[in-house]
Amino acid sequence: MTDRKSKAPPAPADADASERLVRAEGADVPQRADGERSRRRPRRHARRERPSYLPHAVRERVDSRELERVPPPPDSEPSDGGGARGSVAERIRDLEARLDQMILARERVSGHSSLPPRSTAISEPPPPWPSVPPPERSSAASLAELPADVEPSPWGRLGLREGSEETDDFGYDPAFEQRALPLFEFLYEKYFRVETSGIDHVPSDGRCLLVSNHSGTLPLDGMMLRLAVRREHAERREVRWLAEDGIFHLPFLGSFTNRMGAVRACQENAERLLAQGALVAVFPEGMKGIGKLFRDRYKLQRFGRGGFVKLCMRTRTPVVPVAIVGSEETNPMLARVEHLAKAVGIPYLPITPTFPLLGPFGLLPAPTKWKIVFGPPIDFSAYGAGSAEDEILVTRQAERVRGEIQAMLDRTVAARRSVWFG
Amino acid sequence: MPVRARSEPPGALRARARVVAVTGASGFLGSRLIRAMEEDDRISRIVAVDVGAPSTAGRKTRSYEVDLTDPTAEARLAELLAAEHADTVVHLAFLASPTHATAWAHELESVGTMQMVVAARQAQVRKFVLWSHTWLYGAHPSNPNFLTEKHPLRAPAGEPYFADKIEAEKQARKLAHRSPGVVVTVLRTAPIIGPNVRNTFTRYLSRRLVPTAMGFDPLVQFLHESDAVAALHAAVVRDHAGAFNIVGGGVLALSAAIKLAGRLAVPIPHPLANSFGAVGWAAQLLKEPPAFQTYLRFVCVADGTKAREVMGFRSSYTSREALLDFVQAQRLREVKLLSESTA
Repeated sequence: MTDRKSKAPPAPADADASERLVRAEGADVPQRADGERSRRRPRRHARRERPSYLPHAVRERVDSRELERVPPPPDSEPSDGGGARGSVAERIRDLEARLDQMILARERVSGHSSLPPRSTAISEPPPPWPSVPPPERSSAASLAELPADVEPSPWGRLGLREGSEETDDFGYDPAFEQRALPLFEFLYEKYFRVETSGIDHVPSDGRCLLVSNHSGTLPLDGMMLRLAVRREHAERREVRWLAEDGIFHLPFLGSFTNRMGAVRACQENAERLLAQGALVAVFPEGMKGIGKLFRDRYKLQRFGRGGFVKLCMRTRTPVVPVAIVGSEETNPMLARVEHLAKAVGIPYLPITPTFPLLGPFGLLPAPTKWKIVFGPPIDFSAYGAGSAEDEILVTRQAERVRGEIQAMLDRTVAARRSVWFG
Repeated sequence: MPVRARSEPPGALRARARVVAVTGASGFLGSRLIRAMEEDDRISRIVAVDVGAPSTAGRKTRSYEVDLTDPTAEARLAELLAAEHADTVVHLAFLASPTHATAWAHELESVGTMQMVVAARQAQVRKFVLWSHTWLYGAHPSNPNFLTEKHPLRAPAGEPYFADKIEAEKQARKLAHRSPGVVVTVLRTAPIIGPNVRNTFTRYLSRRLVPTAMGFDPLVQFLHESDAVAALHAAVVRDHAGAFNIVGGGVLALSAAIKLAGRLAVPIPHPLANSFGAVGWAAQLLKEPPAFQTYLRFVCVADGTKAREVMGFRSSYTSREALLDFVQAQRLREVKLLSESTA
């Protein structure tokens, strides 16, 4: 192949064309000497000097548009007068030129040639692929290098973004939590100075239900409980807490708490989580707990309809009672305005010493000292799965858990000397 | 390549060979299902019923032009089902996206299903497979994260697009109730997405600017188009009575789906979007009625456990993979390397 020139100078166009065809298909473009190509198409090379101040995408667009207008090379081989072979040869030449241009443009962009040197013989094995991993956003990059006629519109360019946060089945988004975590770490460590006791009562593995008192106009207790178990427990377990439906009606707050690991409170979700062996926290007081007035602090409200007891009986899950002290003084609610708030779509409007007075800043929690006390586990497995239907038993057991938590609350509140310093 | 049940000897196939009637045969699911059944030895003949012949019809397929909105459709359907000895009806004549012609859609979906059910009873078919949607559960803040088949269908009843489909499911349930010998299978598919299918969901994710509800980011799930066809095929060849959620594995946040699709989300406060949506729909400027907006706010994700355990259906694409498959085709379409598919 290399001694093409010396053999039979008046080579028929057919042979030449077929040879080019081989070359185009065999991807041995680099085989040709540089000098030969520049001798053949000097005009194309001159044109290729484009203003370098243009961004490369624009330059390339210029490239391929010019390509359409470029006349056939003046020194084209004598063809056999418009036969099918001749047109094939021209098309191949055109394709070659295009390929050359794209390779050159690529080199100019990347700064170095990833292709083998042009003098490489065909028999030589190709160099190994570079071991550098392909850059991120490879699809965006490759699209950016497409010629202009297949270029996406500016909107398309703007939209060409890869990557999204992974969420689990219930919408928990670890990457999102990582970003928000510094704020909650600050609240946990510096602001509320959370102390825990009895954390060993939380089992190291397997499903378990944490049952806790609920309070605070902004329910921060779920997040603090989650942090407490993650930081203090030997196994650093993850708590999924169940949040009342009301939150999911609200914009921003609903999707925020969901991404932070909260799950809507319902039997189906709780059962599914427990079946996965998760550590689940519930606040059976629900909205009644959040809406507690200041004078009712640390007085547990009705524990729903004992749904959590039924859940534990059905799934044979132990309950760990939890008392959170300090949270009920963060936003002391003096009164609830319900009749106006319902019209706006929120359950009630809290009146605290600061809230409507200072605007949204009034909702900032007071820096009370928090204590989270975990009690010994309560096991319902002795009752069997069928007893979940026994309403009297369920109510009695719910009352028992409520009494346990109330006693823990009373003990902890009585033992502390100050709301602010514990 | 012909598919053959492994446990059965080849001789047994003739005896059990089936005649399957497919309505909505030239729609996306119909034509793909016919293509799959053409290659299945267990099915001896396919009766394609639609207003036009399916493009995938092969040597087994006989096409009939029947318009389900025609009052005489029921008599014609009963006649041709009996003449062809059809033992299975796959009812796919539903609209993939809402239309402003709600009266016509009602005739086609609700009344059309009724005619189909009556015809199926007259012709004494053995099996009735209905295509339905997990969207019919409705998006509510009180939904559990995974809706099972036991949940009531709570889609906005004021919206004809949903009401007609719920009505169609009721007709199928009535058939199961009245004719205990008939195997009635309802396949509730999650939003179907893929490189070829065109429907409300693909159109939503093809927009340059994708409207979302400000402050809401519900979890969504998708089903790949080939999985949807595979589920229908499985329901035809094996008998599984009841309703099944046919879903792809896993869930995605809507914002993640939009990001993966390479789109820009435009959050709009939902009261505003609601009123604008209602006006735009009334003026026929928008292709989706305002009732669809609840699906941008609240979760409506179904649980595919029953289909996996009872039908043995496992999606070969997860929700994310199905979405990525669609996105790749969409990108090729945008740079005009892929022409619009006709199916």
